[in-house]
Amino acid sequence: MPAEPPPVVEPDPTAEESTPDRTLEAFSDPPRWIRRPVRAGPAPLRLLTRRLHILMIGWEFPPRSTGGLGVHCYELVQELAAMGHHVTFTVPVPGEYSEVRGVHMRWPMRRSGQRWFPAYEPPVGEMPDPMGTVDGYNHWIAQLALREEVDVLHVHDWFGTVGAVKLARRLRRPLVMTVHSTEYDRSLGHPWTDVLEREKVGLAGADRIIAVSRHTKDQLVERYGVAPERVNVVYNAVRPSERIGQLDPARPTVLYLGRLAAMKGVDTFLQAAARVAARNPNVVFIVAGEGPEFPRLLKLSAQLGLGDRVLFLGRVTEEERMGLLARTSVFVLPSVIEPFGITALEAMAAGIPTILSKTSGVAEVVGSAFVVDFWDVDEFASRMTELLAYPALSRTMGAAGRAEATQVGWAERALETARIYAELVQTRGSSR
Amino acid sequence: MKIVLYFHVHQPWRLARFRYFDLGSGRSYFDDARNREIFLRIADKCYRPALGRLAEALDTHPEFRLSLSITGTWIEQARADAPDVIELVRRLVRTGRVALVGETYYHSLAFLLPPPELAEEVDLHRTALLETFGVEPKVLRMTELAYSDELARFAEQQGFKGMLAEGWEGMLRGRPPTQRYFSAVAPAVSVLVRHYPLSDDVGFRFSSRSWSEYPLTSEKYARWLAETPGDLIGLFLDFETLGEHHPASSGILDFLSALPTAVRSHPHLGWATVEEALEAPVGGSVSAPTTVTWADQNRDLGAWLGNDLQRSAFEAAKGLGRLLHHLDDPELLTLWRKLITSDHFYYMYLGGHGADADVHQYFSSYGNPYDAYANYMNALTDLRQRAQARIDAAAAETRAPVAR
Repeated sequence: MPAEPPPVVEPDPTAEESTPDRTLEAFSDPPRWIRRPVRAGPAPLRLLTRRLHILMIGWEFPPRSTGGLGVHCYELVQELAAMGHHVTFTVPVPGEYSEVRGVHMRWPMRRSGQRWFPAYEPPVGEMPDPMGTVDGYNHWIAQLALREEVDVLHVHDWFGTVGAVKLARRLRRPLVMTVHSTEYDRSLGHPWTDVLEREKVGLAGADRIIAVSRHTKDQLVERYGVAPERVNVVYNAVRPSERIGQLDPARPTVLYLGRLAAMKGVDTFLQAAARVAARNPNVVFIVAGEGPEFPRLLKLSAQLGLGDRVLFLGRVTEEERMGLLARTSVFVLPSVIEPFGITALEAMAAGIPTILSKTSGVAEVVGSAFVVDFWDVDEFASRMTELLAYPALSRTMGAAGRAEATQVGWAERALETARIYAELVQTRGSSR
Repeated sequence: MKIVLYFHVHQPWRLARFRYFDLGSGRSYFDDARNREIFLRIADKCYRPALGRLAEALDTHPEFRLSLSITGTWIEQARADAPDVIELVRRLVRTGRVALVGETYYHSLAFLLPPPELAEEVDLHRTALLETFGVEPKVLRMTELAYSDELARFAEQQGFKGMLAEGWEGMLRGRPPTQRYFSAVAPAVSVLVRHYPLSDDVGFRFSSRSWSEYPLTSEKYARWLAETPGDLIGLFLDFETLGEHHPASSGILDFLSALPTAVRSHPHLGWATVEEALEAPVGGSVSAPTTVTWADQNRDLGAWLGNDLQRSAFEAAKGLGRLLHHLDDPELLTLWRKLITSDHFYYMYLGGHGADADVHQYFSSYGNPYDAYANYMNALTDLRQRAQARIDAAAAETRAPVAR
């Protein structure tokens, strides 16, 4: 969905006078819907058809997103809104976010004299004090005042957990937390305490937890001691997309698309690429994405003699990414740990035959792909070559993968999420 | 009314993971350890106990008869891994009341390849039966019970008196499956057909608790047989039905043991081998312009050649076969024949009908059809390279003058 021109944000300093902390007082455009009467008595039984007001506490939102989190939130709120629910979505920084009908974006602002400024620096790239932004954001959330009564709160990952738990208690509303990845996974087992603590606050304070894969659920149960019955698995989905453009048979292309982080297993991709390149002089390897591992990976590719065979594209725009997928013969997700791996599902939806690591969440939901141990360089290399060497294989797998990747869409995933809301709202409603 | 009880005995040589980078490495295509492990497991669970039960039944019931088709790949594996099982089969055959059935040695799709491959494989199998069991078959069955007019003609040329086929409505055209037919194009060849509802009661449904007739007792089953009008009832089953597909705990072996006694209480019921069944009254001619098999809902070749993967793999194998038939190299030819075993193509099945997909997954030795295809193609590509190397070497030899 193309981003529409952003609404003109006219802060209205009188709108939320109850906000005690003036420095964190923040506004964006006011809710457009009409306030509903405060509900009294037990919740109606047909909850799934009742319109809920969902306060979703996010971190990133398209087009300003770096991973599955932003995409997931965007697609989820879009479908929830299509089902008739209202969503207020918070992000830490202002921006020209993709507009979604029925979804109302809010972010903290601070006033200096007569003018309004973003409360915090954008959390993109290297930041002088990332936790400063997080703390400020949480403080703002905890104090948040809303014109319309909220039915359920939903926080994504650790960023806003502290504020979300406080606000849920204050509003006496159920809190759902979606875990897109755990700190143990992101840090390959060496968690950063600041983050871990925030994760734990959310996991302890949420009434229900959503994990994006069974793998992530297992992590929550084993590493964090969360009771399994408190965790539901709701997988990611993709939108069917048309593959634009043509494959160039003379330049078969193998693609890695994702962040360049240790958990992503790009080393394996490069080592396998070296094996494939030695036998197939025409194959091109592309590494698209940015991240802390970039310098090391660049050096590794040089050491492997892949200098002229691997292209490091850095960060790609949405448009570039579609163009890239259109030219890709084989997509590889080599992650050591991958809570879900939405890029692989997108590649499959575009009809690209795909190789997944066994430890990826996406491998739990698809069968029309090669699945390989993340450490098995030879197997990755063999699978890449097989897909390049046997056209019937890549054609068949591509077509089957496309059908499989798009058979369950965001609408179904949003419905699964809405069912969880309904369950919680009903429990709360009847117990009050 | 004669019951024609027939079991198919087969184990394929499953492939090892043969990576693309194993090409040219000289590694074996076959997973010997795994094949041995599977064979030994099935020998314990199925071959030994079931062959023992059958021997007992033959000893105590002089009227009991059965027939077996045993592939060459099974015989070789049994010889290597469990020779006592061969001895158990010999014991059955020595009663004179067990007929052996001819087929391709490699349980292959040779019937879809240009001659002389099919005739050579059927010959190999005939020789193996003669050497191992001292018996020459008179009745032919084709891999996966494939039957067609063309195959009936082939059977006639090869001197077979009968062929086995699926009792499929499309071929019988309203006539019952309970009589002997003959081929419309090769009248000397009788066609014995499988009564698939009664066969599948035992083969598929026996241990299914959701089946309305569960549990199936031998008395009940004998009554069903007795109530079936006609001359012949073809109960054609996989031998692994007895203890492997249905575990011993399901009672399948006891069912089998008790069946001859239960049948005896119905005086008009008797038993016949496939060879004795050739004497049954004839019901008319059958014609099958296209191939009919015993697999899946459609009873066609879809289980082996239904999708692009399967067709492309088979075409590649076919092409290599042409090359190998011109190259006098028995070792490479044997390897290739092991690669046209139908099971390899069956593993590449992509799904479709729910029940069929479950059956395929049960028999598959791979996680998914893509693994099966890629692995197969790697092995085949390696074999092609080896064949090409021989050809190049031979060409160089004829060109090079004897200088040294």
